[in-house]
Amino acid sequence: MTGDSTSNEPASGSTLVHPGERLSAEEGARAGHGVRLIDGTLVAMKTGNMQKHGNTVTIEPLSSRYVPRASDLIVGYIEGMTNNIWFVDIGAAFNAILPMSLAPWKVEFGAVRQHLGIGDAILCRVQEVDETHSSVVTMKGMGLRKLKSGFIEEIPPHIIGKVVGKGGGMLQQLKSLGQSRMIIGQNGRVWIDGDQSGMSEVREAMDVIRETAHLPGLNERIAALATE
Amino acid sequence: MAIPIVPTLLRENLAALASEDSRIDGRGRFEGRNLEIEVGCLANAEGSCRVRMGDTIVLVGVKFQTMTPYPDRPTQGGLMTSAEVRPVCGPNWEPGPPSAESIELGRVVDRGIRESGCLNMDDLCILPGEKAWQVIVDLFAVSDDGNLFDAFALAAIAALSNATVPAERFDVGEDYPLPLTGTPMMASYHKVGGRFVYDASKREELGGDERIHITLGDEGHVHSLQKGLRGVFTAAEFTEIMDQAQKRCAELRDIVAQLE
Amino acid sequence: MGGYGDVQCIDENGIRLDGRTAEQMREVEIECGVIPVADGSARVKWGKNEVIAAVYGPMEAHPRKIQRQDRAILDVRYNMAPFSTTDRIRPGFNRRSREISKVTADALESVVDLELYPRSKIRVEIEIICAEAGTRCAGITAASMALADAGIPMSDMVVSVASGKVHDIVVCDLNKEEDNYGEADLPMGILPMTGELVFLQMDGDLSMEQFQEAWDYNMQSALEVHAVMVDALKRRYGGEV
Repeated sequence: MTGDSTSNEPASGSTLVHPGERLSAEEGARAGHGVRLIDGTLVAMKTGNMQKHGNTVTIEPLSSRYVPRASDLIVGYIEGMTNNIWFVDIGAAFNAILPMSLAPWKVEFGAVRQHLGIGDAILCRVQEVDETHSSVVTMKGMGLRKLKSGFIEEIPPHIIGKVVGKGGGMLQQLKSLGQSRMIIGQNGRVWIDGDQSGMSEVREAMDVIRETAHLPGLNERIAALATE
Repeated sequence: MAIPIVPTLLRENLAALASEDSRIDGRGRFEGRNLEIEVGCLANAEGSCRVRMGDTIVLVGVKFQTMTPYPDRPTQGGLMTSAEVRPVCGPNWEPGPPSAESIELGRVVDRGIRESGCLNMDDLCILPGEKAWQVIVDLFAVSDDGNLFDAFALAAIAALSNATVPAERFDVGEDYPLPLTGTPMMASYHKVGGRFVYDASKREELGGDERIHITLGDEGHVHSLQKGLRGVFTAAEFTEIMDQAQKRCAELRDIVAQLE
Repeated sequence: MGGYGDVQCIDENGIRLDGRTAEQMREVEIECGVIPVADGSARVKWGKNEVIAAVYGPMEAHPRKIQRQDRAILDVRYNMAPFSTTDRIRPGFNRRSREISKVTADALESVVDLELYPRSKIRVEIEIICAEAGTRCAGITAASMALADAGIPMSDMVVSVASGKVHDIVVCDLNKEEDNYGEADLPMGILPMTGELVFLQMDGDLSMEQFQEAWDYNMQSALEVHAVMVDALKRRYGGEV
C-alpha cells in the first residue's frame, strides 16, 4: 500500500493538518478560524497549517476563496448592469452590486453604460455584506476609480499576507523589481502598472509566490530574482 | 460552457505585449508550452494517449465496435470521433446538451484524421457486406487551459498509432495493430493582441480573436483547415502561419514516431 | 448476482482471482492537485480503477430554484468516460450515474460545513477513467480528497469501500468478477476519525455474522485508505523547497 503511515500525527516540524484531525492543545484552548470544538476536542475543519495565537488555535488554509468583509479594498470586473446598478465580479461566491448612487460620477438613470461597461476593472471598497455573503461595493472614497491601464494578476487570498510581507517589505521589493505601482486587493487581485519589461519581472515573482508561498524562505527566493 | 467576461484591460495588455513581441507567460510567438505525451495509459481502451500541454490535459481512448457496412460500400468500416468537454475540465460550465464548441472540436479533429486517409476504411473489413470494424475515438478533456484542439488532435493520432484491433474478443481472428498509413498533425494559431501566435493559453484565448487550425500530412500536404470565431485575416498572415505549421507538424510527427 | 458458471472467485487455498486473500484490500494510490485549473482535485487509482475528481466553488447557485437560503448545496456529477469499460459507453444521460451522483452528494453533504456558504453551490465532478468494480466507492473517496485539496471545510474525510461474499466466504473490497458473480455487495462510506457512516447500501444475502465480517473489513479498509489520503496531502503541501 502506498503511503504507509499508520499515525495521524503531523510529522515533527510540520504543522500540516487535515480535515477531521484532532488537534493537541492546552487547557482552555479556543477554536479559531478553520477549527471547531466537537465534544470538548478541537478538530481541524480544513487542510492547512495549524497555528496558535495565544489561546486560540487556527488553521492557515492552503487553498482559499475570497469572502468579502466590509471596508475591504478590492479589484472588481463589471459583469453587467441594469438602468441604475452595475453587477461586479469580485472573485467571491457571489457577485457584488454597485448602485448608481455609490459611483464617483454623477450618473443619469439609464446612462450607466457611459461610465462603466462590461469587462471594465474598478478599484472599489466593500460597503456592506449581508448574512448570505452578498455585498454592496462603493467607489466613493479616496483613490477609488476605474482602472484604465496596467494589468491584474490573481493570487489566492490567503497568501496576500505573503505578497505584502512583514511591514510591507515584500510589496516594496516587488514594486522596485518592476519599477511599478501596485495595489493589492483583499480579494486576491493585484493591480500593477508600469512598463512592459518591469511587468514581466513582477509576473515572474508572482508565479514564485503563488507556487511556493507555503514553503519557508520566500523572501530569499524573491530577493534572488531581483539580483538576476 | 458559460461565457466568461473579457476584462477590457486584458485585451490592452495582450496588444501591448504583442507590440513588444512578448506573451503573457513569457513564451516566444511560435513557441509551444511544455509537452508531455504518454500512450497506452487506459487499460480498458484498445488504444489510448494522454497529452499535457502546459496546464491543458486531455485523454483520448480508441475503442472498436462491429458494424454492418453500408450497402454501397460493402468492404468499408467506419470512423467516429466524439469530443466530450465535460464540467470536470473547467470552472465555466452550464448544464445542457453538448456545446457548439465541443461539437466543433470533435468534427475538426475528425476531419484531420479522415481527410489524410491515414486510416483506410477498406482495412476495417471483417466480412464483406456483413461485418466491419467501427473505430471510435473519444476525446476527453481533463483540464482546459487553452488549445484543446491541438491537444486532442495530437492525442488522437498517437492513440490510433498505438491501437490494437481486438479481433479475439469479437471472435473474428487474432489481435493485430490497427494499420495506419501516415500521421496527420494539427497546429492551431490564435490571433492575440493583433497577431497570430501558436498554442494559445486560456487567458490568450479569452482576450484573443479568431483562430485557425491547420492539419498537415507526412509530405507537408494540407488535409484540413478551419477558421473559427470572429475576426479577419490577410493572405500574408496566413502564409506566415502556414510556414510555421509545416515546421511544427514535422516536429510533432517526430515526437509521436519516438513513442513506439 | 447471477450464477458463477465456470468462474471460481476464490480457490481452496483462499486465494482470489487477483491473488489476494479474503481480508486484503486492493492497492490504492492517491494524488491531489492533478487538475491544474480546478479549485481542488484528486486522482485515485484503486486496483485497476482510475478516478479523477475536481471541485469548483463555492459559487452562486443557479438556477434560483436550487438555491437554499440557509446553506450551500453540493452539485455532484458522477460520470463514466466512454473508454472506461470493455464495452464502450455511449455518452449521454444514464440512470445509474444519476443515482450515484445523488447518493454521493448525500454522503458528502453530511460532512461538509455547508452553513458557511448560504445560497451557494460547490461543484463536485467525478469522472471514471477506467472501471473495475467499486467505482462509486472510489468516486466518493476521490471527491472527498478533492474537497480537502480545495480547502472546503469538513468535519472529516470520507472513505468508501465495498466488501461482499463469494462462494459463501466474506471478502474485502470486491473486484470485477466478485462484483459480477458474487452473492452480496456491501458498500459503505465511512468517516475514519469516528467510524461513523455517511453512505450505506447493500444487495444480496448475508447472515448477521457475515454482515458483521463485511462491515469490519470495510472499517479496517477505511483506516488504511485514510492514511494514503493524509500522505497525499502531505506530499502536495508539506514539501521541501
